[in-house]
Amino acid sequence: MTEILVTLLTVLVVVGAIPGVCNYLILLERKMAAWMQDRVGPNRVGPWGLLQPLADGIKLLLKEEVIPGHVDRALYIMAPMISVFTTMLALAVVPFGPVEDAPWWLRFIIAPNIDIGLVFIFAITSLAVYGIILGGWASNSKYSALGALRASAQVVSYEIPLGMSVLGIALMSGTLNLEQIQSQQAAAGLLGWNIWIQPLACLIFFTSSLAEANRLPFDLAECEQELVGGWHTEYSALKWALFFLGEYTHVITISFLTSILFFGGWHFPGIATAESTYMFAWLVKLMVLMTKVFMCIILIMLLRWTIPRFRFDQLMELAWKIMIPLSLFNVVLVMICRHFELSNVWLLTGSVTMFCVWGIVSTNMRRSELQAKSPGYRMAAAAPVAATSAASGGHH
Amino acid sequence: MATVIVNNTPVEIGADERLNCIQAAAKIGVEIPAYCWHPALSVVASCRMCLVEVGDKKPDGTVQMQPKLVPGCQTPAKDGTVIISDSPKVQEARKATLEYLLLNHPLDCPTCDQAGECFLQDFSYRYGRGYSRLQEPKNEKPDKDHIGDQITLFTDRCIMCTRCVRFTREISGTSELQVVSRGSHEEIDIFPGHPCDNKLAGNVVDICPVGALCSKDFLYKQRVWWLKTATSVCPNCSTGCSVHVDQNEDHVYRLQPRPNPLAQGHFMCDDGRFGWKYTHSEQRLGSPGLRASGQIVSKDWDSVLQSVRGALKKAAESGANRIGAMISPWMTVEEAWLLCSYLTGLSPKVTLAMGPVRIVGEDDHYPKDVKGRAVEPVTFTIRAEKCPNRAGVELVLKHFVKEVIPAEELLRLAASGQFKAVWLVGGDPDGWISELQAEAFSTTDTVIVQDFLPSPVIRHATHLLASGTFVEREGVFVNHRGLAQLIQKAVRSPDDARPDHRILWDLAERRGLFNGDALRKEISEAVPSLALLANSSLAENGVILR
Amino acid sequence: MSESSKQVKWVEEPELGFWEATFVPAIIQGLKTTLNHVISHKAVTEEYPEVKPDLPLHYRGVHRLNRDEKDRVKCVACMLCATACPARCITIEAAPAPKDWPDRDKFPKSFVLDELRCIYCGMCEEACPVDAIELTHIYDLTGENRDDLMYDREKLLGVYDETKDNPRDPVRTKRGKLGAAADFQGLPTLGPATDVAGNDRSARTGTSGVIAGSGAPAKENRS
Repeated sequence: MTEILVTLLTVLVVVGAIPGVCNYLILLERKMAAWMQDRVGPNRVGPWGLLQPLADGIKLLLKEEVIPGHVDRALYIMAPMISVFTTMLALAVVPFGPVEDAPWWLRFIIAPNIDIGLVFIFAITSLAVYGIILGGWASNSKYSALGALRASAQVVSYEIPLGMSVLGIALMSGTLNLEQIQSQQAAAGLLGWNIWIQPLACLIFFTSSLAEANRLPFDLAECEQELVGGWHTEYSALKWALFFLGEYTHVITISFLTSILFFGGWHFPGIATAESTYMFAWLVKLMVLMTKVFMCIILIMLLRWTIPRFRFDQLMELAWKIMIPLSLFNVVLVMICRHFELSNVWLLTGSVTMFCVWGIVSTNMRRSELQAKSPGYRMAAAAPVAATSAASGGHH
Repeated sequence: MATVIVNNTPVEIGADERLNCIQAAAKIGVEIPAYCWHPALSVVASCRMCLVEVGDKKPDGTVQMQPKLVPGCQTPAKDGTVIISDSPKVQEARKATLEYLLLNHPLDCPTCDQAGECFLQDFSYRYGRGYSRLQEPKNEKPDKDHIGDQITLFTDRCIMCTRCVRFTREISGTSELQVVSRGSHEEIDIFPGHPCDNKLAGNVVDICPVGALCSKDFLYKQRVWWLKTATSVCPNCSTGCSVHVDQNEDHVYRLQPRPNPLAQGHFMCDDGRFGWKYTHSEQRLGSPGLRASGQIVSKDWDSVLQSVRGALKKAAESGANRIGAMISPWMTVEEAWLLCSYLTGLSPKVTLAMGPVRIVGEDDHYPKDVKGRAVEPVTFTIRAEKCPNRAGVELVLKHFVKEVIPAEELLRLAASGQFKAVWLVGGDPDGWISELQAEAFSTTDTVIVQDFLPSPVIRHATHLLASGTFVEREGVFVNHRGLAQLIQKAVRSPDDARPDHRILWDLAERRGLFNGDALRKEISEAVPSLALLANSSLAENGVILR
Repeated sequence: MSESSKQVKWVEEPELGFWEATFVPAIIQGLKTTLNHVISHKAVTEEYPEVKPDLPLHYRGVHRLNRDEKDRVKCVACMLCATACPARCITIEAAPAPKDWPDRDKFPKSFVLDELRCIYCGMCEEACPVDAIELTHIYDLTGENRDDLMYDREKLLGVYDETKDNPRDPVRTKRGKLGAAADFQGLPTLGPATDVAGNDRSARTGTSGVIAGSGAPAKENRS
């Protein structure tokens, strides 16, 4: 009975907190953008614009809901629901606090002890793209359709490095259970954080999850220059808001996963370790985890306003030519280390070496590609006179 | 064969062509500017704008030029005539002439209706000096809006080319306009108490090369550069004057004559010029309808046409000769063809009657003498037969039935209960059926009325097809002497009304949009007397069928 | 070598080195820049309702129809503004001028400007031959419905009355009292509208209505 009540309470906390948190994250993001661009940001509603999310929420709720006449109504209405539903569902197996030290009335994870936690997350989050694809297709608009196509191609491509990079962690830990992965790191101390053991995997994981979440610099699916609004061009009011709720929930999930998988979750040497047994240790641990997650979110926001959007071919190149091979080699490296029971130092050096080798390889690849693409280019540069006269001769 | 040399280019002139230098140069596209010269009027050579260098090419090949510039309009182009219109001497002369013509011109182009189609603007731009050396104040002459019911005179804009004066003397013969005073105080004026109100008065606005004579009807309505022009034919009498229909945003603003030697020449009468106003009448039938519980109720075209087809089919099945149709002389050849072929396709024996042909008075010939009697040679005729296409419709009807019966005969047959269904096409804006005549259809089951204005017969109509006026339609009108000319669609029909050609095309369930060219080809192959309809010159000056 | 090919400057695409290929230094550099802005944040935002913007003199706001010295509408209904308007927001109905306006043939019976359709390009002002329509500095234009922003003749004249004394919105009349179309006599000497030969005697005399030549210096203006 208590079990059910606690579960219900946890679900309530999560489902209740997420939209509010998302709203304030949006405010934070807008503020951040403003600061970076020497602006003020939202400052009209409440002190420092703190009530802006509330105003936005009310506005989106009360706004006229336009459903264009040419859409496939059922799918059109379903798409934003799928988007929110899947991203929320993925949070079910994410431990958002120290599960072992939880107070009796809260559990910090909705579904504890799921041994396929990671697989579940990837299965569910890749479903989220259905929201985008269906929304784009049901809108019956070329912009939406193109956005949805891009999104699906992108998600399919980045799913592979994402899974591969986490496979290394799973191999190392011997489990897919997120709570166990976390407690193993906590037990191993600061140097046991996976970031020290598999930095390359962390980089790949973080990059691919940005692509999975359609965040900048990988938000090709809603590329305004070419696609108006992309897959949500035809959406308005609450349905539009649901799409954004989905996207931000995804960002939160990513940040949790990054913190838990690579940065030791609630563990921090000196303050919150596996041995901490003082009163309200759970609260401190919770705060540590939340701080890590928050830093991660801040980083994602910083990246959004720092790096320009990729071109679509560059996006695909990054996935197929760089991240997939690298993540494959990374898995092989982990397997070798596990098999021969080599120390973690080997893993670290292996990661860094692979990164460097790949950097050199791709530098040379690009150089030869450039030369192959325009054989006349360098000639023209060497002899501008001949080139212009040839060009004008060919002109008619 | 005579050869004229224009700016070093030889121009061949036909043996029976009598051209002046302006016309000879125009043959190879060389423009010699002129104001006072007009091809339909006598030559006065007073504006001096067409001054050119002229010489003779001797048989031995030497060229002897005349020492002075001569007016091109007054100099005949003979074999061996050498015309130079681009020498510095000519250019200087044009600059001087234009500066002189503009001495007293107020240059109020922004408020002048002619701006945009003004020869003063065009020639000043092409040949003028661009500035004036006048230091004295300009003459200010009073505007005269009393010179006619349809025309008004901005005296200060006038350049005294006297085209209008010559027009009233030579074409209309009414001689209302004259030149008064002398020198730089010259003005166009009327004899006191005798305004220029003849039926051709509107033409003086067209021939005025500047903005002096303006049409009161068109005054300040539109700027001319907004107008879009379609070529058409005036439907108001069987002369069938070629016209331009000028419209903007689906509103017709004016009709202007389109010079056509095969039709009427250069001019048109005021009856036709202002006879399009019903196009924008408040009374226009705006949508098709069906009679339901005693009232005509607006319906969409698809269901009305479906109902029309059903009713006609039922009438055709009820026996031979139970369908009658009145084919209006206001229809185009194509429309008459579409309707007749549809009806005869339903029932081989149908009664086809020529709609009422309105005759008003007698043919009105110009020029007139002082007593108002026409004198020879005739320059212009307003015909008594007030419909555009009796001849064309007759040719179509003769193809389908042995004998074309008049409208009265159809009315008699209808009153005797002969028909189960009748199709009545109106189209005459001045009314084509009286209250009494309309009673003939009171007992007919199906009365299909195709018209654009209300008429007494609508009281008995079961199906109402809101059609279009001549500016909304496309097709061929055949005038009194068998000249077939094309009318083009200038504006869209108001509200839900549709042009007749489209209604009948849809009725016949032909595929796609109305295709006039294909339809004319079809007619020309089927009807020998209309074989020339497929001729490509139809769209320009038209073709004479007989 | 032609002049244009002399101006062509050939640049090589920079070679990508190892660090460029890894993206990492570039990203860090970018983050440094953006973070610097966050840390030493100095907003350049003008907080509008409290702080009014300092508009440039050529700012193009709501239109006005100027009045002449007899308080009549200056417009002569030539419809050149409506012709020039790329947004087609001006609708003018012209009529013969009242009998007691002897200097005018034509005046605007109705003049409606759709401020919602207008794109404030100022072409109407350029086109106007009598300096009747001008764009003012009024930018905070609001209405409760679309009809409120259909400015008719009286409303546009009202804008003139409201703004004529504002130093930012001087009547920018360049020509005579009524402008070229209505007041030809008072025209000041203008620049050439067409090319004038330098040795043309007439082009050198500056008189009213005469367009002075560029080839030779104009004599002193008549004043």
